[in-house]
Amino acid sequence: MGNFRTAFNSFAGRHGMGVALFVAIAVAAWVILLIVLPQLSMLDYSFRHNLPASQIGGPDDTYTLENYRYFMFGNDDGLNTLDIGILLRTLIAAVFVTILDVMICYPIAFILAHSASGVSARLMVIGLIIPFWVNEILRAFAFRVLFGATGLINSVGLGMGLWDAPVDFIRADVALYSGLAYAYILLMIFPIYNAVEALDRAQIEAARDMGAPWWRVHWRIVLPIAKPGIASGATMVFMLTSGALAAPQILGGPSSLWFTQVIYQWFNQSSNWQRGSAYAVILLLVCIAFVTLMMRVFKVSVGEIGK
Amino acid sequence: MNPRGSVFSAAYALAFFTFLFGPLIIMVITAFNSSRFPRVTPWECFTTGWFNVLITNDRLMSGLLSSLFIGIGVIVVAVPVGLAGALALSELSARLRATLYTVLIVPILIPGVVLGISTIVFWGQIGRTLGGPAQAFFYNGYFLTIAGQVTFISAYAMLVFIARLQRFDATQTEAALDLGASPGQAFRKILLPFLAPAIGSAAFITLLASFENYNTTVFTILSGNTFTTALASKVRHGTDPSLSALAVIIISITLIGALTHEAYIRRKTLLDSGKAEQSAIFGNPVLRLLTHPGAVLALLLCIAGGLVWLGSKHDSSVCEAGILEEKRAIQRQLQEEQRSRIDAQKKAGGQTQTPAEGGAGNPSPFGGAFTGGLAPESAAPEPAAPSNPSPFGGAFNPGTLAPAPE
Amino acid sequence: MRNRTVLLDHVSIRFGDFTAVDNANLKIDSGEFFSFLGPSGCGKTTLLRCISGFSDPTEGKVLIGGKDMKGVGPNKRPTALIFQHLALFPLMSVAENIAFPLEVRGASKKDRRKRADELLDMIALPGIGDKKVSELSGGQKQRVAIARALAVEPDILLLDEPLSALDLKLRQHMRAELRAIQQRVGVTFIYITHDQGEALTMSDRVAVMNSGVIEQVGAPNVIYNAPRTAFVASFVGENNAISGKVAGQTEGMVTLNTPVGPVSGRAAGGRKYKPGEQCSLFIRPEQLTLTGEAGPNTISATLRSQAFEGASTHLLADCAGTRLRLSQINTGAAAAPLAPGAALTLAFAPEHATVLPAGPMASE
Repeated sequence: MGNFRTAFNSFAGRHGMGVALFVAIAVAAWVILLIVLPQLSMLDYSFRHNLPASQIGGPDDTYTLENYRYFMFGNDDGLNTLDIGILLRTLIAAVFVTILDVMICYPIAFILAHSASGVSARLMVIGLIIPFWVNEILRAFAFRVLFGATGLINSVGLGMGLWDAPVDFIRADVALYSGLAYAYILLMIFPIYNAVEALDRAQIEAARDMGAPWWRVHWRIVLPIAKPGIASGATMVFMLTSGALAAPQILGGPSSLWFTQVIYQWFNQSSNWQRGSAYAVILLLVCIAFVTLMMRVFKVSVGEIGK
Repeated sequence: MNPRGSVFSAAYALAFFTFLFGPLIIMVITAFNSSRFPRVTPWECFTTGWFNVLITNDRLMSGLLSSLFIGIGVIVVAVPVGLAGALALSELSARLRATLYTVLIVPILIPGVVLGISTIVFWGQIGRTLGGPAQAFFYNGYFLTIAGQVTFISAYAMLVFIARLQRFDATQTEAALDLGASPGQAFRKILLPFLAPAIGSAAFITLLASFENYNTTVFTILSGNTFTTALASKVRHGTDPSLSALAVIIISITLIGALTHEAYIRRKTLLDSGKAEQSAIFGNPVLRLLTHPGAVLALLLCIAGGLVWLGSKHDSSVCEAGILEEKRAIQRQLQEEQRSRIDAQKKAGGQTQTPAEGGAGNPSPFGGAFTGGLAPESAAPEPAAPSNPSPFGGAFNPGTLAPAPE
Repeated sequence: MRNRTVLLDHVSIRFGDFTAVDNANLKIDSGEFFSFLGPSGCGKTTLLRCISGFSDPTEGKVLIGGKDMKGVGPNKRPTALIFQHLALFPLMSVAENIAFPLEVRGASKKDRRKRADELLDMIALPGIGDKKVSELSGGQKQRVAIARALAVEPDILLLDEPLSALDLKLRQHMRAELRAIQQRVGVTFIYITHDQGEALTMSDRVAVMNSGVIEQVGAPNVIYNAPRTAFVASFVGENNAISGKVAGQTEGMVTLNTPVGPVSGRAAGGRKYKPGEQCSLFIRPEQLTLTGEAGPNTISATLRSQAFEGASTHLLADCAGTRLRLSQINTGAAAAPLAPGAALTLAFAPEHATVLPAGPMASE
């Protein structure tokens, strides 16, 4: 608290009391009213029964672990393999999409930072940004057009005789994974680019000069520099993929749900907000735990994200 | 880079940008195909009718209005809040700064679904506690959506301001103070003008992020609709190429914006470099006018306007009628064939119906691809165009598609 | 005449455990051109920020014009600071920059413009008021920054190494220019620099600082000719230092026993030395001469290298591990160059040498 007071005073001395008050109030409102309290409120809600509005606050409105128990064990006492399975599948798929994005984006970020120059680099940056002006929903729609049974890929594949019955890319989740990987490409490229750009070209040339093959140059020189960028990009892509809702709704196969869709169903179809909150808490905690674990493993800090 | 490396780079970049633009280009093309389902092949007729379908979609258009209202609300709140966050971070000691930064950046990483839920749960409780008119106010789709979106969009605005503040020379403020300005004056006259461009870009990013947002909004908008949620429910429940038409419009606006911005940047760098006078383009008055960003914008708008005018004149009804007639003819023919086949089977001795085989047998080109909540478009059986005798056998879903045995 | 004195009364500035300025006591007179000279990190900029009001002293008082400045912000003090990188406002025109102090005091647009034009005339740059700051040359920016600082008619102008970003030629020109402006406006100038050439040529008085301590205050020639500490002797101008122990003292002369043999010099400030005390004798390169025969105050050394520099020749010699530099004025007669390794005998007059108690010295 003392630290905040010192900061406030020095801020007021530098920018004036009015500005200092504005900053203090706005940041406090953001942190407390928009970030902390809503999350706590959701957490609180997740421990409650699904009651009709008239009974809320009444004697039946007690805390319960029922919603979490349901996630683990379902209606009977067997393991709730359906929901747990969906959560695991979501996480694994998110990891897969993240890895896919790293592999797609690392070369292009490197090319952008060190091979392209002048006009071609500017064009590439513009070319990277333009697709992401198009609404997320429309981008998913484009993938449906592309991968549908009568989509271009099937038409071309069949026309060329590569396969003789239309492949159901939707059911096989190919469309979903491509769409998700596509959706978050920018969030992977720019952090890697920012990290790799700091590398002095002379280092690469020196290594090549000493006879290192290209893969060793990348492994020993470029990758260590790119690591914070990759970590930052991977964190964002993983969190956004596992929390994605639109793409799975549009591109997901009929038999495979995303965990966010389960949450959505609790809210919109079953009108059981308490259970939906519990599932949201589970998603949030599992994702945070996973990202924290990965950051430990790769030795990076949250402070580097968003740079 | 050695030659082999640069060949690899070029090839990789090409493949990458094909991946990036391919789906969009395909989608753009489908906007002009009269086929009821968005597709490139088979090509039926060139049409601009889908644009008309798009703008007469009331749900989308009212969603557009809500989105604009929400977008403006989010700008008004998120930009000042983001600025406050960035300023606060600039003044804190290193350890506190790292902590606050983590807290403020986390909403970007929290799944949008979680943000949406926590927002409606929290304000719902506040509303219930306060009761009365407050309850109605806090349980309002617009309010909730703005609150939910501001939570994380402020962090985007903050990142823009942090980037700009890092380039601020703090001695400027000190100089102003030293010259007699009060701290408030120094802020208004020195720091705020310096931040002005960032305020513009933060507002822009904020509006875009608000407009785009689905995951949070789909919860917080309650029973209402924004443009994006209306769009998503349309995509989920059956699609038609009017969505491609929407993509065409968005991509066109983006391209016009990008080109104008590029013209502006080029001109600015040229002027700032001080070499403008020597440059051939700047020396020539006509070229100089033509490369002015305003002129570029006007020219592009004229081209777009001309295309829209031409498109609105285009009439594809004759061609579409022709296609329809062809389809009917094929359908009749198919029915004839089937009837004769069934007759033949009956004659052969009451055998059961065999599933339609590949080739000309299947009347629907949709196969069963869009099962699972997606209503198949094939309400009226639509035979494949003759150019592409449908090979989509009933492999997926023969039951629904094969003509019922009599 | 306004009271434009600055008084530092037992001023100490500490950041946590680190002492940036240690017990500074100093009076700077009205209309004086006063310089703080010292290596980077010696505390001179901290002291300047304390005078201008960006920080308060941990202990002691700063008085300007006789008034205690405690709690008075930089915008309320009769001082103006010229920043190392000038801190001109890039989004404003030159005239707006210069008139900024008037703008924040609520002067009318017309008055602001008039004052800006006057000041532009004073710095001999009339008619550039509408230019952007980015269109100015380095020297012009310098002068605009001075004009802006003078627009508020401060009693004290503080300058924080403002010339360090300029090239050598412009720097030398600006020294004369600054001095001329100071004499024209009569304002007290307090100048911070690590460049002794600047400090010595422009200033009325110089304070030499090291590690937060003011080592010596005096006119430039006093600082150069009669340094009071080993640090000042080694930092200001080139000097040869010969360390040794006091052998004896007769009136103002002290004799040291050193690795190069017994040598004598003046006792700085008539100080008394105890026999055996660890001391250093300082002798400037231009005061060392080559001589034929050995005698009192001569040193036998070996030539290491020599460099011909037009007006003079610099020799580097070595005696028992002590490096000695000589500077010889070229007389025009083409003397045969000496070969490295040649034996030299160096001599100096004791009254040109200064003996000072051992202490920290400036690094090369």
